[in-house]
Parts: sequence; structure tokens; C-alpha cells
Amino acid sequence: MSRVWNETGIAQAGPDSALRRTAARALEFGRLVLASRAAVLGLLLLLAVVAVATLGRLWFPGDPWEMGGPPMLWPGEDPAHPLGTDFMGRDLATGLVSGAGVSLLIGLVSTLISAFVGVTIGALAGYYRGWVDAVLLRVIELFQTVPNFVLAVVLVAIFKPSVATAVFAIGIVSWPPTARLVRSEFLQLREREFVLAGRTIGMGHARLILTQILPNALPPVVVVSTLSIAHAIQTEAALAFLGLGDPNVMSWGTIIGIGREQVVDAWYICGLPGVAIIVTVLGFSLLGEGLNDALNPHLRRR
Amino acid sequence: MPLLDIRGLQTSFHTRAGTVRAVDSVDLSVARGETVALVGESGSGKSVTAYSVLRLLPRGQGAITGGSIRFDGTELTTLPEAAMRALRGNRISMIFQEPLSALNPVLSIGWQIAEAIRLHRPAGRREAWARAVDLLAQVGIPSPAQRVHDHPHQLSGGMRQRAVIAIALACEPDLLIADEPTTALDVTTQAQILDLLRTLQAERGMGLLLITHDLGVVAEVADRAAVMYAGRVVEQAPVRTLFDAPSHPYTEGLLASLAIEHLRPGTRLPEIAGTVPSLLHMPPGCAFAPRCGRAQAACHELRPALSQPGPHRVACHFPLGAGRRTPLELLGEAA
Repeated sequence: MSRVWNETGIAQAGPDSALRRTAARALEFGRLVLASRAAVLGLLLLLAVVAVATLGRLWFPGDPWEMGGPPMLWPGEDPAHPLGTDFMGRDLATGLVSGAGVSLLIGLVSTLISAFVGVTIGALAGYYRGWVDAVLLRVIELFQTVPNFVLAVVLVAIFKPSVATAVFAIGIVSWPPTARLVRSEFLQLREREFVLAGRTIGMGHARLILTQILPNALPPVVVVSTLSIAHAIQTEAALAFLGLGDPNVMSWGTIIGIGREQVVDAWYICGLPGVAIIVTVLGFSLLGEGLNDALNPHLRRR
Repeated sequence: MPLLDIRGLQTSFHTRAGTVRAVDSVDLSVARGETVALVGESGSGKSVTAYSVLRLLPRGQGAITGGSIRFDGTELTTLPEAAMRALRGNRISMIFQEPLSALNPVLSIGWQIAEAIRLHRPAGRREAWARAVDLLAQVGIPSPAQRVHDHPHQLSGGMRQRAVIAIALACEPDLLIADEPTTALDVTTQAQILDLLRTLQAERGMGLLLITHDLGVVAEVADRAAVMYAGRVVEQAPVRTLFDAPSHPYTEGLLASLAIEHLRPGTRLPEIAGTVPSLLHMPPGCAFAPRCGRAQAACHELRPALSQPGPHRVACHFPLGAGRRTPLELLGEAA
């Protein structure tokens, strides 16, 4: 194995060595991330949530809406329903497992949308400046002055509540911070000499934006997006709590909404999904913090 | 016909304090296979001249306001942007003073060279990559097949400048503009890079426009030199002539400040008294007159133009060197 890594080995290898270089770079990055205790803890929490969403589904494959047992069973009271049931006898363990998948899905997809919109708008504003920037900045401000959650509620209410509309609504309300961040990165980076050097070899605007500036602007976007996933999960839970979730899908927010009436008699119905949300959000926040330490060159080894 | 022929170039910048002519009435030509040095202090308009040729002046601030730039017969000042883009990096390339900031920190140098090729040539990814390795070998980077994967921060200063040169040469340009290519490097590396530029130029027969403030560099590599002062070319001559018999008092002053090996320790270093005038408040006459020991009344009133085209041109009413007296000088003596 050690022979593969020595100098001559690399010299002889063709495309295979490029693969190895990429792997080495990924390892180096992994080491940087794992150097942060926050990132390690966050990753462990998220791994647990992912395990619940995937392996847990094998354990509790039933329909979370099915009334499968006696109502208001406390956790541990009946081994058939280890986490108890709600007031209509629906199994809470099945609900929580189903909610984990929904939360992760909505968090990831809506963040992809918000990152895409934010990066596009921020890049155009920061690169072109002038009137393009002025117009786009007004659009960003417009979205920032309307309270995010109210806008999300309105969007979901206009369309039929479903997973797709929740994803869309959360994505639409959460891109402005990314756009601002990318814009400020672009404003700085466009003045760097390597951008001028790109122009001297004949690059056009699109190429300068995509190949020269964007790769340099991405690290902070990764950090913000990780935090934005956490926020999206909270927003989804809040929408579901208000009854604006997908009626066919059991999410953590839905369960909290269901348990609201019995919160004094049976706090566990609200408590368990609440803990699940806290763990997931905390996991993403810690991971974001760790990524920030690893990706931010100013903080590195100082 | 010279490869690059600049005539009466005027480039202006709009600043809050007013419009400034950073480059004024500049005549300059570079032939194929020729090295022309553009010499001057910082702010004398050398770099602005170069960026004018590439039409890369900061948008909304600087613009070419007069004159013509012909490249291989094509007028560049009026060329559409798309055609200009096809020229940059393809037929006219540029290298920079600080190689670390001229390279993209997050991309491998191989990627950056391959991209320069693929911008102008219909080459596949693999082909461009092979050519990048080839170019790195040509600019003297050892074990290029491995270095091609390196990122700029993994290379030394000299290696970075070699990589920058490889990018500039990717499409075999006819004209290479080098803006202070050795200023940021240490002395031994400087000599290597100059050597490399000279070799590459001889191999390819490129025209080389070398911008520098270092007269030592000029003496070493240039065939001809143009001296700039406050946005204008004050003297232009073959390097030997310029060093042996400068005609403009400013050139003479610059050369005098170089000849320090004959000085006795303890004596003051020779310098040109005074400072360069602000481009916002240019004197009406010769820009150098306030600092010139030979200045006379005419110098403060009338701006001297560059003398008629020829091997040795000078913009001075009273050029150094006996025998050649201008009408103004004769007038001054008569008075």
C-alpha cells in the first residue's frame, strides 16, 4: 500500500492519479472538519437522525395515520407501541420515524432552491454592479421586509398544502441572506487580479462568473446553507403545526399540532417530536459551525 | 509594418477631482521578434498604455479618448468587444507583476492553462491537459506531470511566475505584454525569468512589450526602449543609444541615478530634484521643466512634441548632445 503513495507511483499513474489527488484533498478537508469538536458532535447527531429516518422505517413500516392501538398510551406502557400513542391511537414511534424523513427531505430540497436562487441573484448583483445591483438589491430588500414566516404561510395557503408547496415556500422565503452574502463576496472578488488575468486571456462574463469567481465564493455559501437547512426544518414544523402541512404526510410539526390539546395531560405527544426537532437543528448548526472553521481561511490555525 | 503600432494614444480617467489624461500622445511600436521596454516611474502611464492595448480599462472610469492602436493591421480602438475578446490571450497575452494574485487560488494551474487553451482552440479536455503539461515543461517547471495538479499556493514565487507565463503562452500569441514581470521576485529568480522570456521570445518570434521601472532589466533584454514621464513618451531609442547618449534630461537623470558604483562612500546618491507633477495640475509647458536644470522660458510655455519618426525620438526643446540644435535653442541663444 505504501508503495502506491510514493513519488514514482504518482509519476507513473495516469488518470488514476487525479482520482487519488481528489481523494487526498477530500481526506485533508475531512481532517479539518473533524478537528472541530462542534462538527463531530453535529455529524453524530445528524447520523442518528438519518439512521432513524432510514433504519427506523424498517422497524416501524406502518402508516403513521393508522389508528393501531388504544389512545393515549404513555411511552413504555405497551411494548407494541414503545413511544405510546396519541388521542386517536396512532403510533408515535411510526410518526416520529416518518417525520424524520419528511424533515430531512424538506430541509435539504428547500435549501437547494434557496441556495440556487440566492447564488444566482447575489452573483449577478455583485458582478455587474450599477443598475443591475440596484434593482436586485431592492428585490432582496422586498423579501426581507416581509416577515419570512408570514410569507411562507401565505404561499402555502394560496396553493394546496403539500410537501412540494412547503419546499417551494420555504425556499422562496429563505434565499435573501444567501444572496446578500454572495453579492458581497462577488463585490470583493471581482476586483481581484486573477479576474483581470482571466479577462486578459479572453474570458467572457459568464465564464468569469462561473469558473473564476464562483468557486472562490462558495465556501461561505456552504456554511450558510447548512444553517439554512436547520431553519427550514423549523419553518416546516411551524407550518405543519398550524395545519398547513401535507395532509397525507405525518411530520414532526403535525404531531405537535395533534398533541397541542392534550399538552397538560400527555406532554410526551408534543415533547418527543419537539426533542427530535431540537436534535436535528442542533446537529445542522454544529456542523455549520465546524464547516465554517474548516472553510474559513482567516480562522484557520490562528 | 510593425506588429503593434500605437499613434497619438490618449487615455483619460474620470476622477472626482476631474478628468485626467493618464496617457497622452503616446507613439510606440513593437515589431515581431522585437523587445521594446516601456520605462518610467509608477504613475507615469506605462501600465495604462498596456491596458489600453488590451482594452481592459476599468469600465466607467478610464477610456481611450484619442489616437489609434493598430495590431497586425487591425484597428483595436474601435474593434467590437467580441472580436477583442477573441484576440486576448490568443494573439495578445499579458503577464503580471504579482503571480500569486494573478492565479486563481482555488483552481489547479493545469486547469488554468487548459482553460486558456480551450477558450481559443477547439481542443478536448485531455488534449488541452496534455498541452498544459507540455507548456509547463517549456517554461522550465521540473516534473510538470505532477506540478500540473498543484494549486498556486503549493508553488514558489518563481514557479508561479512560470505558470503565469505558461498561461499567457498557451495559444502562442504574437504579442506578449509583460507588466513588471520580475518586480515581485528575488534577484536570482528575476534573472531566470528574464532568461526564460528571452528564450521563449526568440523561439516563437513574438513581439514583447516589457513594462518596467528597472533600467537594469531594460539593458539586459530590450532592443529598444521608450521612456515615459507624466503620461507622455519623452524619449525613444535603441537601448544602446539610450544608455550611451541620452537626449532627454529626464533620461539622463534616470541613468545618473543608476551609476552609483563610481560614488565614494558617504556621498549623497544622485537624484532628480523635485517630484512628478500631479496629472490634475500639469504645467502648460514641458512636464519635466520644473525639475529640469536646462529649462528655459520656452520650456515652461510650450509643450515639446516627440520629434519626427526615426530610430531616436525625443520630446525636448533643448535635447542633450551637441551638434543637433533645435530652432528654439538657437532662438534662446540669440536672445
